[in-house]
Amino acid sequence: MTDTSADDRPRQGPILDELPLYERAWATPKGWRSLSSVSHRVVGQRFIVTGLGFFLIAGFLALLVRTQLIVPQNTFLDAETYNQVFTMHGTLMMFLFAIPILEGFGVYLLPLMLGARDLIFPRLGAFGYWCYLFGGLIVLASFLFDAAPAGGWFMYTPLSSKEYTPGLSADFWLIGITFAEIASVTAAVELIAAILCTRAPGMSLTKMPIFGWYMLVTAFMIAVGFPPLIVGSILLEVERLLGLPFFDPAMGGDPLLWQHLFWLFGHPEVYIIFLPASGMVATMLPTFVGKPLFGYGYAVAAVVAMGFISFGLWAHHMFTTGLPMITLSLFSAASTMVTIPTGVQIFCLILTLAQGRPRLTVPMHFILGFLFIFVIGGLTGVMLASVPFNWQAHDSYFVVAHLHYVLIGGMVFPLIGAFYYWTPHFTGRMMSERLGRWAFWLMFIGFHVTFFLMHITGLRGMPRRIATYPEGLGWDRLNMLSSIGSYILAAGVAVFVWDFIAHRWRGPLAPRDPWQAGTLEWMYPPIAPGHNFHAIPRVHSREPLWDQPELLGGDAHRVHGVLHDAPHGRRETVGCHPLSGEPLQIVRLPHPTWVPLVTAACVAVGFAALLANFYLVAAAGLVAALVGFAVWAWEPSETGETLETSEGTLTVNLPSRLGHTHIAIIGTLLILVALFASLLLGVMYLWNVQPEFARLAGDGDLDWAGAALACGAGVVLTAWLARRWPNALLDLILALFAAAAGGALYLAVLPMDPLATALAGAVWMTAGFIGVQLFVLLYWSVFLALRKLTGQVAPGQTVPEINRLPYAVVTAGMLVAAAVVLAAPQLEAFT
Amino acid sequence: MNNTSTLADYGSQTSFSSAGSGAAATLGLTTAMSVAGGVLFLLVMGAVWLARRRNRPGHVWWIWAGGVVLPVLALAALVAASTFTLAAIGRTGDTAPVIEVTGHHYWWDVVHDPQGRALRDANEIVLPADTKVTLRLRSGDVIHSFWVPSIAGKLDMIPGRVNEMTVTATRPGRYRGQCAEFCGLSHPLMAFEVLVLPPAEYAAYLAGLQDEARDADTAQLEQGREVFLREGCPACHVIRGIAEGGRIGPDLSRVGARGSLGAGMWRMNVGNLAGWIADVQDMKPVAEMPSFNHLSGPDLRAVAHYLASLK
Repeated sequence: MTDTSADDRPRQGPILDELPLYERAWATPKGWRSLSSVSHRVVGQRFIVTGLGFFLIAGFLALLVRTQLIVPQNTFLDAETYNQVFTMHGTLMMFLFAIPILEGFGVYLLPLMLGARDLIFPRLGAFGYWCYLFGGLIVLASFLFDAAPAGGWFMYTPLSSKEYTPGLSADFWLIGITFAEIASVTAAVELIAAILCTRAPGMSLTKMPIFGWYMLVTAFMIAVGFPPLIVGSILLEVERLLGLPFFDPAMGGDPLLWQHLFWLFGHPEVYIIFLPASGMVATMLPTFVGKPLFGYGYAVAAVVAMGFISFGLWAHHMFTTGLPMITLSLFSAASTMVTIPTGVQIFCLILTLAQGRPRLTVPMHFILGFLFIFVIGGLTGVMLASVPFNWQAHDSYFVVAHLHYVLIGGMVFPLIGAFYYWTPHFTGRMMSERLGRWAFWLMFIGFHVTFFLMHITGLRGMPRRIATYPEGLGWDRLNMLSSIGSYILAAGVAVFVWDFIAHRWRGPLAPRDPWQAGTLEWMYPPIAPGHNFHAIPRVHSREPLWDQPELLGGDAHRVHGVLHDAPHGRRETVGCHPLSGEPLQIVRLPHPTWVPLVTAACVAVGFAALLANFYLVAAAGLVAALVGFAVWAWEPSETGETLETSEGTLTVNLPSRLGHTHIAIIGTLLILVALFASLLLGVMYLWNVQPEFARLAGDGDLDWAGAALACGAGVVLTAWLARRWPNALLDLILALFAAAAGGALYLAVLPMDPLATALAGAVWMTAGFIGVQLFVLLYWSVFLALRKLTGQVAPGQTVPEINRLPYAVVTAGMLVAAAVVLAAPQLEAFT
Repeated sequence: MNNTSTLADYGSQTSFSSAGSGAAATLGLTTAMSVAGGVLFLLVMGAVWLARRRNRPGHVWWIWAGGVVLPVLALAALVAASTFTLAAIGRTGDTAPVIEVTGHHYWWDVVHDPQGRALRDANEIVLPADTKVTLRLRSGDVIHSFWVPSIAGKLDMIPGRVNEMTVTATRPGRYRGQCAEFCGLSHPLMAFEVLVLPPAEYAAYLAGLQDEARDADTAQLEQGREVFLREGCPACHVIRGIAEGGRIGPDLSRVGARGSLGAGMWRMNVGNLAGWIADVQDMKPVAEMPSFNHLSGPDLRAVAHYLASLK
């Protein structure tokens, strides 16, 4: 399935003389060594196939749920098993299927669409994949230990706290999911940098394929949206392991803090799932209509608006928790607002459809199915935004119906369509039009039978998450029909899976650009060579294959463009200006390496040991991972080399703030700030909700907080000086300042007892987070000093120093924020 | 789970048949929104259908019409309708008589007039018809959610917090409610019934809650009372006048008068009571109460009869 080897080239036109060197540079290792591959094509396909695997497991669990509910008082599953099954169904679908598989499509498709030879941080992509796989396996392994999580995918406290869920089941969930989320956030950074920094010459942001926009917004949303859940998970795990009482109202905590953090993630999550799938629709539909997307600018604006609005809606999952009426009204109004950008997108699609007669292929069936189902899901979503209706429908089967309309309609249908559309690119063969239609109609009919009826079941009073229900409440026949529908839906999925497997030998060979698409990924006849583009062409249009006949006219290898030769036998691609898309630099890309796999395995050992309470092993795993990162980064710097290209002389790894590593650091800082903000939100929330405990929490030591601030200023100053005059001494001074700041911060919070009150615990966590930031600076600076002292760095190779400065500034900013929070109660006492 | 002898006729649990002012107002809103949603759906699908048949570019103002104007109009109507409905429900801000309900794993503790007479009952909430009542909701352990679809929408019971909602039951009768927030293993078995009585009967009911429990007046009932005391039941359960210490489990002073057993799950009769006492862990796994399966047949019958006599 992951065979994209460049040697598999029988249908690819004549071979130019210089190709062997290329082949050597871009060849995927064979056999078991292919695990060391870092190519986006391999990593992307791994994400997709693994995600499909989790989809099938989670789908099987759904069938168990429906089988249990087919008759009242069924004894097919006992309550414990049922709770495990529905918990794992939701968990796998949301965390291990939907997001990773869409990121997999992004990882695979974006470089091909944007005109790059690989994703910009291939090792990071590979590392993310292994984190995802290992995290997913940890979650699945809970079944083997008879400790499958049974607290729902939402893990509400205090049900999930130690008192009500003893044993390891919740820990499996928290640790496994947090681990897998590393994959999501690393992929987010990578996609941001790749979209902004590695587009073909001439591809300004306004000429970018629409899928790039959808993925860019999605990546930003992941960067901001996942941190609240990561913070929540860490707080809950710390409460379970160490007893810091964040969610215990008797000690100044609040169970609702978890819900706020969870839904601050959970609502954007829905759009994180919807947007990439919607981007696929906006990519496929123009192909079948034969005309460009109508209202490209409107669609882009709508997607960006949706990204922002989606962060203001989380409380509509909490309308029944007794929030003040004014809060309810505000969130109700905000929730309805998201209809506008959604409506704009839908009408862009409808108007695209109006431009020509669409070919009714299998992907087109799924697109129309998407429109039909998703519009219903959107309308029921608007109903749920109405507070009084929500009070009735919340946590009933109406919501089950709504969310499946949105997620299956908005994500699964486009995804299956995308499989039919892009599989020829993966495998070189077409999937079956006949089986595809069967799959579509079975899924479409089965889906409506299953889920439409649930609207009624819910309004007839059936709550969610009940393993059995008594006879005679008016739910019996509806549930029977829903279960029958689910088997029809499953049959449709089975037909698709069979087709996906069987097309490998039964499917006809795919011609060049099999759907007559306009985007760049179809320039080569399937399967495209491992380097994606022999030369990266200059792009003048959003649909280059339609508007630039030279791209499809002859042998793809002979297309003119940048980097036509590979003089060094190195993997390299063109780095562009983030806005204009004009070439800026040459980006050297890594060759296959074991480091990502080994490092991820070390982290996995660390997490698994944490789960088994082997803290020494956990620490060893962490240290090994840190060493792994150092090995990863310890490579000769090539900054400053120049290459003559058709676009002029370009420098390798340009030391510039527009460079890809600096953009990536900004993306990373966005994640770190979101993490920090989530923690700070927790501190302020607890302070506000249980003010009487703020006094009990005691005061921090402001003198030491001042000292920490002074050291933080030292960190920023040295980082700034080191950017101007890079040298090892400044690096070491910076490391010292960072260590001193960490020590002072520790002494500042020492008077507060983290076990006594939730607020003190949250302050400690905030300080601990800054401590980790400072440790990163320390580790980084010592690393840079060592490189300089061992002669690895030539003059002018200042990329790390450029990148470190914003990191130092943001860390110091966090110190300031923490100091203000520490000082505020004491200032309050003065006034 | 036990497959026998469920209630033959539950109270209504559907939001389609309303017996409370909140549910009635919401049902009107639900109907209006469903019709409007159906019309909007048909409009959009009609647009898709026309677009499929059309063969030339449309105007950009369609994006404005369909993506901005149409939603804004629909949303304005929706927000207005919701606001009026909220006002009609009047869920908060009233000074009505209070009934305090506390959710426990997996049953409901009920106290009428908590500030005054503090009259206790469990698993059956008696409401006066056509009278505003404030339900004060608490939790004793994890988060539960209080939901009686025929009377009003739900409201969560959250540890460390007190939530209140004011409801008016409009139609005397028997209605069923159920915990709507996943709360653990026996969450599906955490239901209750609401009995709406005319105000006069409600007053009589409250008066009954002040009296001592009915006396054991036959030899078998006396034996049952002895078993109840001997087996340590008073450690958790109250029977007024007999045992007043325990507050861990439901108050049993009028248990025989309730329509259901095991928090809204089984019909109240001697047979189910005996089965419950002997095998509660099978009927409701991980309930706090142990199975008293060591009781002799006569003892079990006696205690079941005794409890059934408490009306």
